[in-house]
Amino acid sequence: MMNRFNHLPTLKIDTSDKIPFTYKGKTYYGTKGDTIATALYANGVRIYARSLKYHRPRGLYSMDGECSNTMMEVNGIPNVRTETTFLKPGIVVKEQNVKGSAENDFLGFIDKMDWAMPAGFYYDTMHKPAKIWPVAMKQIRKAAGIGKLSPDHHMPGKYDEIFPTCDVCVIGGGPAGMTAALAAAQKGLRVILMEARPWLGGHFEYRTSEYINRQTHHERAVQLAKEVEKTDNIRVFTHTANVGAYNNNLITGFQVGKESDVFTERYIEIRANSVVVATGCIERPLLFENNERPGVMQAGCALRLANTYGMLPGKTAVFSIGHDLGLETAVSLHDLGMSVPVIADIREDGQDPALLKAVLDRKITILKGWVATEAHGGKQVKKVTVKSVDATVSKTYDCDVLVASAGFTPLTGPLVVNQAKLTYDNHTNFFLPTDLPKKMHAAGSLLGFENAQSIEASGLLAGLKAAFDCENCSIAELGEAKKAMEDLPGPARGTKLVTAPVKGRKTFICFDEDTSIKNIKQSIDKGFDVPELIKRFSGAGLGPGQGGIPGHNLPLFTAKYQALPDIKIRPTTVRPPLVPTFIATYAGTNHTMFKRTPMDEMQRKDGGIFRNIGVWQRARYFSKDFTCKKEIENVRNNVGMLDGSTLGKFRIHGPDALNSLQRVYVSDLSKIKEGRVKYTAMCNDDGCVIDDGVVVKLGENDYYFSTSTGRAGQTIEWIRYHTRYDNWDFALVNLTDAMGVINLSGPNARKVLEKVVDIDVSNEGFGFSEYKEFTIADTIPVKAMRLGFVGELSYELHVPASYMKSLWLMLKEAGKEFKIQNFGVEAQNVLRMEKCHVILGQESEQRTNLLDIGMGFLWSRKKTGYKTVGVAALAQAEKDNTRLKLVGFKMENNGRAPKDGALIVDDRVRGHVCTARNSFSLNEAVGMALVEADMSKIGTRLAFYEDECNGELIYGTVVETPFYDPEGKRMKM
Amino acid sequence: MALTITCPICGKRNGYEFRYGGEEKGPRPDEKDLTPESWCDYVHMNKCVAGVQQEWWFHRDGCGSWFTIFRDTTTNLEKETPEAKE
Repeated sequence: MMNRFNHLPTLKIDTSDKIPFTYKGKTYYGTKGDTIATALYANGVRIYARSLKYHRPRGLYSMDGECSNTMMEVNGIPNVRTETTFLKPGIVVKEQNVKGSAENDFLGFIDKMDWAMPAGFYYDTMHKPAKIWPVAMKQIRKAAGIGKLSPDHHMPGKYDEIFPTCDVCVIGGGPAGMTAALAAAQKGLRVILMEARPWLGGHFEYRTSEYINRQTHHERAVQLAKEVEKTDNIRVFTHTANVGAYNNNLITGFQVGKESDVFTERYIEIRANSVVVATGCIERPLLFENNERPGVMQAGCALRLANTYGMLPGKTAVFSIGHDLGLETAVSLHDLGMSVPVIADIREDGQDPALLKAVLDRKITILKGWVATEAHGGKQVKKVTVKSVDATVSKTYDCDVLVASAGFTPLTGPLVVNQAKLTYDNHTNFFLPTDLPKKMHAAGSLLGFENAQSIEASGLLAGLKAAFDCENCSIAELGEAKKAMEDLPGPARGTKLVTAPVKGRKTFICFDEDTSIKNIKQSIDKGFDVPELIKRFSGAGLGPGQGGIPGHNLPLFTAKYQALPDIKIRPTTVRPPLVPTFIATYAGTNHTMFKRTPMDEMQRKDGGIFRNIGVWQRARYFSKDFTCKKEIENVRNNVGMLDGSTLGKFRIHGPDALNSLQRVYVSDLSKIKEGRVKYTAMCNDDGCVIDDGVVVKLGENDYYFSTSTGRAGQTIEWIRYHTRYDNWDFALVNLTDAMGVINLSGPNARKVLEKVVDIDVSNEGFGFSEYKEFTIADTIPVKAMRLGFVGELSYELHVPASYMKSLWLMLKEAGKEFKIQNFGVEAQNVLRMEKCHVILGQESEQRTNLLDIGMGFLWSRKKTGYKTVGVAALAQAEKDNTRLKLVGFKMENNGRAPKDGALIVDDRVRGHVCTARNSFSLNEAVGMALVEADMSKIGTRLAFYEDECNGELIYGTVVETPFYDPEGKRMKM
Repeated sequence: MALTITCPICGKRNGYEFRYGGEEKGPRPDEKDLTPESWCDYVHMNKCVAGVQQEWWFHRDGCGSWFTIFRDTTTNLEKETPEAKE
């Protein structure tokens, strides 16, 4: 393991703290602050993976994870970007897409087979004859690809999401971003600053060159970061990659948690009034033969290895660069002890004179107008050929590192995904954003500024523009900031060179997809002449790096190859997410949310088996016998108790309460008498039945009504929607959670109830369909209704949720002598089915109207003037004889019941089963079905087709309904 | 997803909090002289304008009121008035 620097001011590692990890079965040590990639590099690992198609060795290149070179499998998670992922103790790291090891890959020979694989060869070959394709595909899939995910993989970690709001959101925590954030914050605005790296500072952070007056760039970065951190109204998110930007300034990002955070990664969705994009630049790859050989890296990568992570990238570095950062890197690395034999600078002139002097002072050869044309060495760089740009003169140098970078590429992602256009700028050689979205401003080096003061001044201006958007900045101040910029250097001239003078067979424009310059030429020759088409045909930019490497080189090369007079070609479209992200982060916390009734705990104690029903968890069974025989028989012969608290419960009162109910309910509710219960239904505008329940009149224009469990959430919305033009005066209160419901049913129900209450509950005192209010034990207020959903003598007791347990226990105690038992939702389902009482959603579906299920009697035709929802459609549907009808049926020859949802067929589908069960009360299988009208006559034979029945139909006959107690004597007794 | 909606009671809020209630079409037609066709038109036919339209929203995760806003369907952004231009 190499010695690490421990004295540099810029270091982000702590060399005294060693962290063990496993790579290829062996234990290695990194230091605290290392990323996985730098820890491996410090241990001498140079080849991190093999490439997708040709199995070429790949190494550290950019340090920000712009390509798949350093993607590895970490603790079973494939495609982890090791350059941006911190080392953690005990992690297990594996290389990807290798047969053997990354150093010795048996599939490495494929690299020599590239002649057989021109661009688009998948499309051109191996499909004739058709039967070879499955065979070929299998082999290709075995040989090509990146990480593999085990189907059993369980993603560890905690994933979260937050939705903050702010006045100004600044994307990018470099010098421009920090200046912008400070400017906006000083105007009193709430600012969010997000930065992809784990710390603020941008490219100032790792540079020890002079900023101004003997202060280094690094010191300036620290100074700005301190100011930002002590400003209370700036909220900083570090290690947070921006992944999307949408209109209305909705900004999204993914934050990687620190050790002290409770989340592994989290999704951040920011709503900002104004946005500053100061994402800076990445380096534009230089294109030459073997330009991705391990040992070839970008200037920023080499410099950060040394200054941030405390290690030299190698012994001898040759430079082939096109910008001043390259010269600065050469000087820095030289001063830290690397040998730098030569710098090939693409530029003939225009270098910073101070840097030139520094280079010459160190006796480093600088070749102006030269460029690297080929890296030699099978697995790592050993030698480099550099040529003059006109390719007439050439020299070869030994080295183990080649720092190569053609220029800069602005990171315009957030602007582009928010619909900014990119236009080629001749001066900077950048594709610069034009037509910026409203309240979105760009700043810093992404606009081409290289001068440190210009970068900060552009940040200040953008920060003030954002403040202006928030009406916290005057035009005069904006003018001053603009004027200040005019006195500073403008955008720097960018290099135009795209490719060194090479044929391009092994010159890779896209590392992720192994796309060479030759492949691009082949694609253009085949007629795919714009980047969007070339991308899809050759694969360039389709990889996990989202086009970070080929991004701007592709359109530049495309224009060059076609000898276009000016560059109107645009880079390919980028889309969110701008950086690769775990799906787990998108999924966020796994919310299994549901509501519990007040009886939840007691029913669980009684052995209730719970199921999710809508938003609730309800006790569906009370024994392992899912036919619920005992529960059903106990209700039919004795007395049972059901928790009906999920029922929707509402109170509506006020001068227009009745009008509102008349609008949504099909019955005429003006006729209900106090003390009576009215059963009725709601339809939608198509006459389709959506809800049923009971309405009770509490007083003048004061009503209490219930809805089905599933509709409770939408009822207020529904009633207010349909009365929204009327300006009616009524108040509507949702009591669903405030009130609980106990359903006491069975022939002995009265005997149980009379032990608990003081009122007369005889059939004369509290008759069927009546409503009573009373208190139990002078304390518990009860709204009681006599209903008969299950077909027996039955009381529905509505009490405040907080009294539910007490009442439940009182009834249980009172019922002891009758052996009272719980019954669950399934038992209720069978009981009511035997009575042919419908449950909407089970006996009806979206298209079923009130008439289809035989409930037309609820519709009051005489009620006019209320514009009742659904009646116009019902009046029309009444004349329609092609609709389905709800019928009851029983099975032939004592057969079993068909499954719910089974089809009713003859030579075609004629209907379906809604609910069918083997009835213990009737000793035969019965059910309800929706069938075409002509099959609804009594005695019609029905053939049932069940899922997976292999063509074996079962048969039943349409019979009179209800099946159980047709006269309804039992519920009225 | 980027839509924000200004509720007359709660102010400008995240669009996720609201439920869409369709285009503004005026009050329910009178029951007299209602033909099946005119009824169907009222319920189901929409103008689907590419531009600014008035439409109903319900503040589901808020105050529970129905109200109308103007929204540019081409940008999916709320407008203060129907005439508002970019």
